[in-house]
Amino acid sequence: MIFKGRDIISMNDLSRDEIDYILARVPAIQNHPDKSSLCRNKVSAMLFFEPSTRTRTSFEVAMRNLGGEIGGFYDANITSTVKDESLWDTVKMHDGYGFDIIVIRHHLKGAARVAAEAADAPVINAGDGPNQHPTQTLLDLYSIRETQGRLDGLCVAMVGDLVNGRTVHSLTEALLKYQDCRLIFISPRDLAMPRALVDKCARASQKRGISFIEARRIEDHIADVDILYMTRIQMERLQERALAEKFRSIYRLEAGMLNKVRPNMKIMHPLPRVTEIAQDVDETPYAYYFQQARNGLLVRETLLALILGAIT
Amino acid sequence: MKYRPITIAKIESGIVIDHIPAGKALLISQVLGLNALARKTGNIIAIGIHFDSKSLEKKDIIKVENLSLTRNMLNVVALIAPMATISRIEEGSVTEKHKVEVPDNVGDVVICPDRFCITNHEQVPCKFFVVDKSPLTLKCHYCETEFFGPLIRYKEKS
Repeated sequence: MIFKGRDIISMNDLSRDEIDYILARVPAIQNHPDKSSLCRNKVSAMLFFEPSTRTRTSFEVAMRNLGGEIGGFYDANITSTVKDESLWDTVKMHDGYGFDIIVIRHHLKGAARVAAEAADAPVINAGDGPNQHPTQTLLDLYSIRETQGRLDGLCVAMVGDLVNGRTVHSLTEALLKYQDCRLIFISPRDLAMPRALVDKCARASQKRGISFIEARRIEDHIADVDILYMTRIQMERLQERALAEKFRSIYRLEAGMLNKVRPNMKIMHPLPRVTEIAQDVDETPYAYYFQQARNGLLVRETLLALILGAIT
Repeated sequence: MKYRPITIAKIESGIVIDHIPAGKALLISQVLGLNALARKTGNIIAIGIHFDSKSLEKKDIIKVENLSLTRNMLNVVALIAPMATISRIEEGSVTEKHKVEVPDNVGDVVICPDRFCITNHEQVPCKFFVVDKSPLTLKCHYCETEFFGPLIRYKEKS
């Protein structure tokens, strides 16, 4: 399987075998005796048109851990985009400076695909609006497999803002490539999983033994799940502030709700969290969101090394 | 049937798009950019609307005095008129006749309905995959939004 020079734009571009291959290569990077020279003399362009904490920092640290360098920008307001320079031109220009790889985050859907078409260098999508965030999904899958030992046959509940959350869209798409998963989409009606994705689940149900339901209350399903994937109610995307506050109070997980969960159950969250996971949950053996974020570094190091040809 | 003398004359050379559902000819003309084609080449385009038809009761018809429209270009007609037929006329005779086929990919003739899609903010030519032929369902190459029915809107070409 060859990843050298390849773009990573959407989970839809990756087959199950390719996902498994990437995840299986993580230990090779983790335990590499000469990790800090793997990407020596390689430079990554970080084109961040939108704020980011974890993704940006972990990509930066990942590149440095591999011995590479970084350039680019984290605030589009100090670039020529304020002079209406197009995304195409901005990417084309950076590509011309000789970067070996481009990592892009943008507020518009499809921006990473445009970047990949503009650049000769490989492009990694670090989030394109509410569309895709494939490296987040890969680290989610890595964390699920790390805690459950497998990706087939799991019961995964996704909770919160399922209409706007790109992480749950990508994760759902990815889990549909595996066998016999049970997916539970828990959200208020206003923030339910997009219809096209629910239809996709229905189509996959015949092929791969996928089952799914849409539900309204965490408490009704918490005892059945292997993974409880919490997400933030995105205040900035909800027009009524009062409604957002209401949803935040309903879709909130507290330690007292974890009495009857499966022993292997893990709680994940792409972070940042606001109020949806109470702090008393952090101390329970079920909390996994900080380890999950740490895994982001390992998965991104692996991807960079694969795409830059440092490992195969 | 009452005799109605209005008709569209035969063409010596060109393309006839027939069996278009009544009322759709202007849209097809727009999507194919026939107005611009006529302006550029000096060819004549004849558009007939609401003609009697045995199979459709009422139909539209387009005659294009130009042979440069390829089969692939004309397949886009199938998005709007799945039953349309294409006849190629050379030296006054039909040299080829076929039904339109829904293509696997659709170019820059449709507007992505997702307002957060990059194609609605920057000058990026749209591209779509046909994910289902019935009901016709398209998926944006860039933002990956799938849509069908009235959400399929066509670009106006002057």
